[in-house]
Amino acid sequence: MSIQNLNTFDPFADAIKSSEDDVQDGLVHVRIQQRNGRKTLTTVQGLSSEYDLKKIVRACKKEFACNGTVVEHPEYGEVLQLQGDQRENICQWLTKSGLVKPEQLKVHGF
Amino acid sequence: MDEDLIFDPSLKKKKKKKTGFDLDAALAGEQGETTSAEAPAESGDVDVPEDDNLDLDNFGKKKKKKKKTFFNLDELENALPETKDEKPPAEEPEQQEEEMVDDLDLDIDFTRKKKKKKKTIDELVMEDDLKSEDQEKEDDMHGDWVGSDRDYSYDELLERVFDIMREKNPSMVSGKKQKFIMRPPQVVRIGTKKTSFANFTEICKTLHRQPKHLLDFLLAELGTSGSVDGNSQLIIKGRFQQKQIENVLRRYIKEYVTCHTCRSPDTILQKDTRLFFLQCETCGSRCSVASIKSGFQAVTGKRAAMRAKVA
Ligand SMILES: [Zn+2]
Repeated sequence: MSIQNLNTFDPFADAIKSSEDDVQDGLVHVRIQQRNGRKTLTTVQGLSSEYDLKKIVRACKKEFACNGTVVEHPEYGEVLQLQGDQRENICQWLTKSGLVKPEQLKVHGF
Repeated sequence: MDEDLIFDPSLKKKKKKKTGFDLDAALAGEQGETTSAEAPAESGDVDVPEDDNLDLDNFGKKKKKKKKTFFNLDELENALPETKDEKPPAEEPEQQEEEMVDDLDLDIDFTRKKKKKKKTIDELVMEDDLKSEDQEKEDDMHGDWVGSDRDYSYDELLERVFDIMREKNPSMVSGKKQKFIMRPPQVVRIGTKKTSFANFTEICKTLHRQPKHLLDFLLAELGTSGSVDGNSQLIIKGRFQQKQIENVLRRYIKEYVTCHTCRSPDTILQKDTRLFFLQCETCGSRCSVASIKSGFQAVTGKRAAMRAKVA
């Protein structure tokens, strides 16, 4: 009985899943990109697809008072885009909300 | 400039009020202080010993004691040139540091050649401070109890053991951390949309790394594109300041140049089955390093043009 019960649960399900959704390394990459002139753009790549990025972006837009979108990328999955240099903000927000562990964050840029 | 500082009484007052809070004011005050050492009229509140201590490690330390603030590269450098020019005794500690360069004892540090002499600024001050502090104390304290009957104190013993350690392996426990003296990147804007990194190739040579590798890293980190031109300078799309490039370089050195175990820069970067390995020549450690990926890049160009291209 109990053994059969165990069969229904695959302890490695998580592992398989996570290795396929973050194409690279299980890290959340926060990058900055320059746009025309002095304008910048922050991108967040590698957030787990289990999260509803649309909700996240909605919360971030309000919190940081900037615009933002979710972009679907064939290789990198859903990527968050925010206007301006929100690297600091987004890192704090992601860790505070418990969505990402601090050691998973990788901030790029200058 | 200096003269203004000396004879402007209001500035002096400002200095006193603001010590410990306003970095700029404090630095301005510091300059005033050092310059006024030459004006006897003001010597009342001048901290003379500080003038002789132009060794930068100490400089940083002294300040830390007073204000508990960390100094940032640029501000320190702004503060320093004035004092340098007036004080020839500064030469001695400087030379020490230069010797260290010859030894190829390296750590991440950018120096500025512009100002006659080499200056090394250590921004990873923490460890260093502690150590140089020890070193200073050690001179007056060590051996006090050797001839007497009294008990030694913990501090004295600590000094003693540090002393012995330093004696036995000067390179490892020396008060000064190993320095990596490097020219700062020369970064100039070209027009409004491009940046030139003029001594890019030179820096690659200093670091003993393939230009291609550093180039990939820089561009991936900055999220832009660029190429090396005929004059071996790197042209990067976008506007970047020297400080920003320096930050990226520092990260590069940390990840791909200095050994992850012993921090020696005497390393070789090898490519082995798609992975890069950092092989240390000093301690023999070998570890894989992160591969360079530019990752996701947002579309920033003119969308109309993009659409036209696709269609
Ligand atoms: Zn090593």
